[in-house]
Amino acid sequence: MFVVKRKELSLRERLFLPEIARALGHSLRAIFKPKITRQYPEEGLPTTEVTRGQPRLVVKEDGAMACVSCGLCEAACPAYAITIDGQETDRFIEREPERFDIDMLRCILCGFCEEACPKDAIFMSDELELADYSREALKYDIEKLKRPKAALQKRIDYVYRINERWRSSSSTS
Amino acid sequence: MPELPEVLAWLLKAALIYGGLLGTAAGMTLAERKVSAWIQWRIGPNRVGPWGLLQPIADGIKFIFKEEVVPQGANPVLFRLAPMFSAVPAMLAVAVIPFAGDLSFFGHSTTLAIADIEISALYVVAIGGLGVYGVILGGWSSNSKYSLLGGLRASAQMVSYELSLILCILAVVVMAGSLNLSTIVADQAGHVFRWNLWSQPLAFVLFVIATFAETNRHPFDFAECEPELVGGFHTEYSSMKFALFFLGEYCAMVVMACLTTTFFLGGFEVPSWPEAPWWIQLPAFLAKAGIFLFLFLWVRWTLPRFRFDQLMSIGWKVMLPLALANLFATGAVISFF
Amino acid sequence: MAELLFYVLAAGTVAAGVGVIACRNPLFSVLSLLGAFFCLATIYLLAGFPFLAATQLLVYAGAIMVLFLFVIMLLNLGDEEQYAERPPFGKRGLAIAGASAGVLLLIAVFSVGFGSVSASDGDSPAVTSFPDESIDDVQSIAELLFSRYMLPFEASSLLLLATMIAVILLAKRQRGSGAEGAGWPWKKGVEQ
Repeated sequence: MFVVKRKELSLRERLFLPEIARALGHSLRAIFKPKITRQYPEEGLPTTEVTRGQPRLVVKEDGAMACVSCGLCEAACPAYAITIDGQETDRFIEREPERFDIDMLRCILCGFCEEACPKDAIFMSDELELADYSREALKYDIEKLKRPKAALQKRIDYVYRINERWRSSSSTS
Repeated sequence: MPELPEVLAWLLKAALIYGGLLGTAAGMTLAERKVSAWIQWRIGPNRVGPWGLLQPIADGIKFIFKEEVVPQGANPVLFRLAPMFSAVPAMLAVAVIPFAGDLSFFGHSTTLAIADIEISALYVVAIGGLGVYGVILGGWSSNSKYSLLGGLRASAQMVSYELSLILCILAVVVMAGSLNLSTIVADQAGHVFRWNLWSQPLAFVLFVIATFAETNRHPFDFAECEPELVGGFHTEYSSMKFALFFLGEYCAMVVMACLTTTFFLGGFEVPSWPEAPWWIQLPAFLAKAGIFLFLFLWVRWTLPRFRFDQLMSIGWKVMLPLALANLFATGAVISFF
Repeated sequence: MAELLFYVLAAGTVAAGVGVIACRNPLFSVLSLLGAFFCLATIYLLAGFPFLAATQLLVYAGAIMVLFLFVIMLLNLGDEEQYAERPPFGKRGLAIAGASAGVLLLIAVFSVGFGSVSASDGDSPAVTSFPDESIDDVQSIAELLFSRYMLPFEASSLLLLATMIAVILLAKRQRGSGAEGAGWPWKKGVEQ
């Protein structure tokens, strides 16, 4: 059993005033310290390659979507935020989504869709801001979700690197 | 009947001093947030106007347009009366503080105090002490246990610390031999070392501590105690009534800072320049008072709150005996030397 | 101007005084008393006794009424209803008390108030002639208080001290005795 004895205060400590003066000096020095406030809307939020923001669809260099509307992300999504309707095209990869909706009010930014995607078509971007005046505006359709591959490259590289590490570690064990 | 220049001088002085008081009180709300931000390595409000200078105006407009809520079971008359009780005494008390020496309006010489009455030191304490009614009545009439506790604490605290406050003032009054603030200021004229700060250091420290308790500021803000009483006496208040409570608190701070300056820092006297014109004395006064206004903010964002029993034991067992002993010693020294 | 103000304030004082005993809610009684103090203080000010006015506000309004409020807020405010129906002395007693108080008041008014109004000489304590300048009465009050009235002054402070000690003793004794509810004197009062 531990008994914590209350410390006997010396006269100087019982006077409070010297200690108060010391505290005041401390806070006075703090006034002149450099400020750490981030001026948010102007300065923006710090993002790294690990940042898992809102999911976005990859548009390849040739302008076609990488998505083949297989529906795996729709199935993986734990919040049922994704709705996909597919359609056929004349291109070599002959499927693409006709409709790809993500209800951002339901999305929990978990990244399962990114992991489920077999075609590297959906990635978690570094876009974090999610605010609007109506619920309808936050149901993102395919046009709002499209991003050129270059914009997502940082995250794509990161995911590849991480997956590589997993693959190699699983192969050795 | 007083002559026209005299009346004009009164009106001008009243407009100047009350405009200054309300402006300073509004500025203090901004200063509070700015200083708190700086001490916490932040920037503080900077969106409304340059450096956020228009923030008080924005706050005021917001307060005016907020919904007024009178809680169920609250006493409707007292609930509406309490904010006025809180704001008016502080504004009344500022009437006798001399902000500058001689100045002339239209050939009429006067001091920059609205009413330079004979017992102004007593008047300030008497009127300033009434501010507690706003807190008590606001706390009681809200029909909320938090508010009631806040009001109870405020009444006990104010009565306790008013004693020390008055005893410290009395020591200064004994030094000057007058209850008139102008005389007290004139008594400290001439040299920096004639300020009561040097002859009454104990009274000065006790007075400053007591002003913190009297204005319900940290570390003695038991009436509003955000963590345990969720705002205390003003928990149930909203919109302009809440703003009035705030106005009262900040006006009281300004008054107390002015009083500390007057009693202990030579009021409007400029060091080594007794005949300074009023437009130099006024800024000198404001600069001195500004030190204490800053101290209010500085201490608030530095120290934690005391416990209520600690507050009481400090007030009755430390401050009161010290103030009494100080007064006794002052009287003895004055009468025997 | 000053006379008009005086009559307004006097009426206010009386009205507030009536309010003290007429209000059902003790809190409003206290506030009425506060208003009476304010009117009285202003009358003192009119009569040229600023020191008295300030002391009135400082001591009564600033300290004593705050403590009154403190106590009233701690009491159970539902209690006043049960006393409202049954006056403690019966109707006849009340009538006698009221009548005698009224007679006393009339005597006071006639002997002081109208007497001084009719008096034309200047040195009567007249309410109708207010001095232009406030009287610097601090020094004279202090001198009288510490020379001629030294003994009553000290005696009254001793009386207050004795009362204080007695109250503390009473409170302490109640706290010490009694097995249950020890330390809670107000609880015992409720049980009895």
